[in-house]
Amino acid sequence: MKKLCILALVCLIAITGAFAQGSGEVYPSRDITNVMVWGAGGGTDLANRLVMAEMGKILNVNINVNNVTGGVGGSIGLFEAYGREADGYTLVGVSESCVTSSVQGGFDKRMNVWDFFIIGGSPDVLSVTPNAPFNTIVELVEYCKAHPGEVRIGGSAAGSIHHLNVLGFCNGAGIEMNFIPYDSSAGSQNAAMTGEVTCVITSVQEQAELLKAGKLRPLGMMTPNEFEFEGKTIPSAFDFYPALADYLPLEQQIGFAIRKDAPESVKATLQDAFTKAMATEAVQNYGRDRYFTLKGLYGEEANKIFDNLEATFCWTLWDLGAAKIEPSKFGIERP
Amino acid sequence: MNIIQSFTYFFSSLGQVITDPVSILLLFGSVMMGIIFGALPGLTATLGVALLTTLTYGMQLSHALVSLMGIYVGAVYGGSYGSIMINIPGTASAAATALEGYPLSKRGLAGKALGLTTTASAIGTVVGMFFVVIFTPLITKLSLQFTSFEFFLLAFFGIMISGSISCPDTPQKGWLCGFFGLFLAMIGRDQLQTYPRFTFGITSLESGLETVPVLIGAFGIPQIIQVLSDNRAMPKQNKIDRVLPSWKAIGRNIKHIVRSALIGVGIGAVPGIGEDIAAWVSYGTAKKTSKHPEEFGNGSEEGIIASETANNSCIGGAMIPLLSMGIPGSPPAAMLLGALLLHGIAPGPMLEVERPGFTLTVSAILLLASISMWIIGILLAKQVSKILKVPSQLLMPIVGVLCIIGSYALGLKAINLYLMVPMGIITYLITERGYPIPPLVIGVILGNMADANLRRGLMVSKGSLLPFIQRPVCLILVIIIIFTFLSGTSFFKNFLSKLKGKIIK
Repeated sequence: MKKLCILALVCLIAITGAFAQGSGEVYPSRDITNVMVWGAGGGTDLANRLVMAEMGKILNVNINVNNVTGGVGGSIGLFEAYGREADGYTLVGVSESCVTSSVQGGFDKRMNVWDFFIIGGSPDVLSVTPNAPFNTIVELVEYCKAHPGEVRIGGSAAGSIHHLNVLGFCNGAGIEMNFIPYDSSAGSQNAAMTGEVTCVITSVQEQAELLKAGKLRPLGMMTPNEFEFEGKTIPSAFDFYPALADYLPLEQQIGFAIRKDAPESVKATLQDAFTKAMATEAVQNYGRDRYFTLKGLYGEEANKIFDNLEATFCWTLWDLGAAKIEPSKFGIERP
Repeated sequence: MNIIQSFTYFFSSLGQVITDPVSILLLFGSVMMGIIFGALPGLTATLGVALLTTLTYGMQLSHALVSLMGIYVGAVYGGSYGSIMINIPGTASAAATALEGYPLSKRGLAGKALGLTTTASAIGTVVGMFFVVIFTPLITKLSLQFTSFEFFLLAFFGIMISGSISCPDTPQKGWLCGFFGLFLAMIGRDQLQTYPRFTFGITSLESGLETVPVLIGAFGIPQIIQVLSDNRAMPKQNKIDRVLPSWKAIGRNIKHIVRSALIGVGIGAVPGIGEDIAAWVSYGTAKKTSKHPEEFGNGSEEGIIASETANNSCIGGAMIPLLSMGIPGSPPAAMLLGALLLHGIAPGPMLEVERPGFTLTVSAILLLASISMWIIGILLAKQVSKILKVPSQLLMPIVGVLCIIGSYALGLKAINLYLMVPMGIITYLITERGYPIPPLVIGVILGNMADANLRRGLMVSKGSLLPFIQRPVCLILVIIIIFTFLSGTSFFKNFLSKLKGKIIK
């Protein structure tokens, strides 16, 4: 018995040794950790878990999603992930709201220390109550031009992504609306049900049930492309007001990132697996069910989107007096 | 679905859960866990549902639903244990129960009190369940009358009424405490423009005061100091022969139970406010309409029944806007919404189209949860009341440790400890001068709702105060608030007694 035990132990050591040797050669040779900065069960968490599972199958390793929450804008998770070696075995699960972490006194670096992989997100849509006297976005804008500041539009709290979309829409269309902030998207949609606001800008996913039931009427997407919703096409507001492109789109961006100083070969392996994972049926179905625009972006393209989000978000918060550190201190330029 | 189909569906859902041993095990397990969560100060129903949400992620839907509803029902009920046994409500919703339950305990009637609240809670939950099935469309329409102005008035009324109720002789003291709570709620970044108020540059204050440490500090610390300084042992408990209340006791109180259940459902159906307000309003109504108002404060049966029935029936009420509109009616229901979304269910107007009978399944589970809660409650009551035999010199330090753990457990923030202790010392000093604690806590809980909705309403009306009298629901609330205020002044009391005198003449 004793001999058997020793034999087993020797075998175990030998096998571990063999694996340890191999680790220098091919990436990935052991499990990868995804440090998820938001809580389990949230939108960012679910999307990451799904894509990580698919990527794990392709790379033939486990990718463990580990929720490290707290701080400002997910700063505790960002510190945790940045503190580990840039060897490709640590990823960080992020969303668009992480970009404000620096100016709010959380993470001590800009977002440009990461390379991003964008899974996608649910785009924002401007909708009105069923009995509102506007049938198209043009009618709404014309009315607002004639009666500045009269039409009430709801969205989640000042400085949130939906608020930035309201600001972008008003600036781009050259109109003035009465913005009423609520503590959540659901709160603003509920206010539309009670008639307290006429318009709301929230994501398609958040409005989905109300849109299906005809309790909200979609007028236009806050993104350059039209959107297919349950067999109907929601036009893009950009088609009528090209000037919107100066301010928008500011979309929900769910994804993950790796330290920028990680080896290029590692990034290439991940990018390849990411592209394959995005094409799987599981991810495509998830995207359709949640009314996502699936992106599958990485490299320069993805980083540019996060740069733009960072600049817009940080400066808007600074102008609202909600940022602690001036964005220019981090070298973030005014958009 | 016609009525017969609905009936069949309801009973087949019941059957499915009963015949599945795993479901039964989960049901009893989660109700038990809920009761423990409810009974321990600092662990709330919301936290319980939140913790289970992540645990149920891997389960199949029916099992997840059973566990989540079980812990919700158990936790709302469990709050009464702390109130009755040691005068520290386990959850905010059981604060009103403490006013009557603890005096009963002091008279050696803890077992009776627990038996009554258990039965009342079970009946309340079942009544709530019926409303989920029957009145969903109607109540949904009514709750749509509530805009920012109404929410402000409702929150304001909540603070006023808890002041009047908890300090009936000098309601001014109660209101003062309520407004102090309202002030404390202003600390932190405001919800509309994210401007920091009263934070003095301290980062950890920016997210505002959390309710749980305030609740624990305000109720726990003064209680510990008082018990230890009195150095008075709890009276010997009467030997508890039966915890199970007699039919007579239930029959005597049935009208209170029904009325309280209706109040609970109604308040639960209004989005955003939950079990705590339901308990207070129901308690207040019981006191106003009681034939024995003098018993209130000294251990009134009606009082504990009112608050415990209402907070449990509120669960059903809170499910109504959740299932029909996707709007949670109470904070734990908000967590439940998150859990449902996790399982790919989007509550809302289309729910019945996409998953026919889902409401009925939820109701069936609610019924089973209340039955298992009742069984566990009756079995536990006898054992739990033995806690009172522990000398307070031993019990109170343990409670103190639990207070500290409780305020740290939620969010794991050290600031909550620095907050809880001074909060407790301040409340101890003011209770010594005859000021009541509950309005202070209610003020902290409802403060943000009052503040954000008033300012949001004014943004909507562009600064005009006219909606207060133009909107019908507003007008009713304004009149009730003015009446509440006047009824506390001596001028009005004199006027009333004169009026009565004249009529009698």
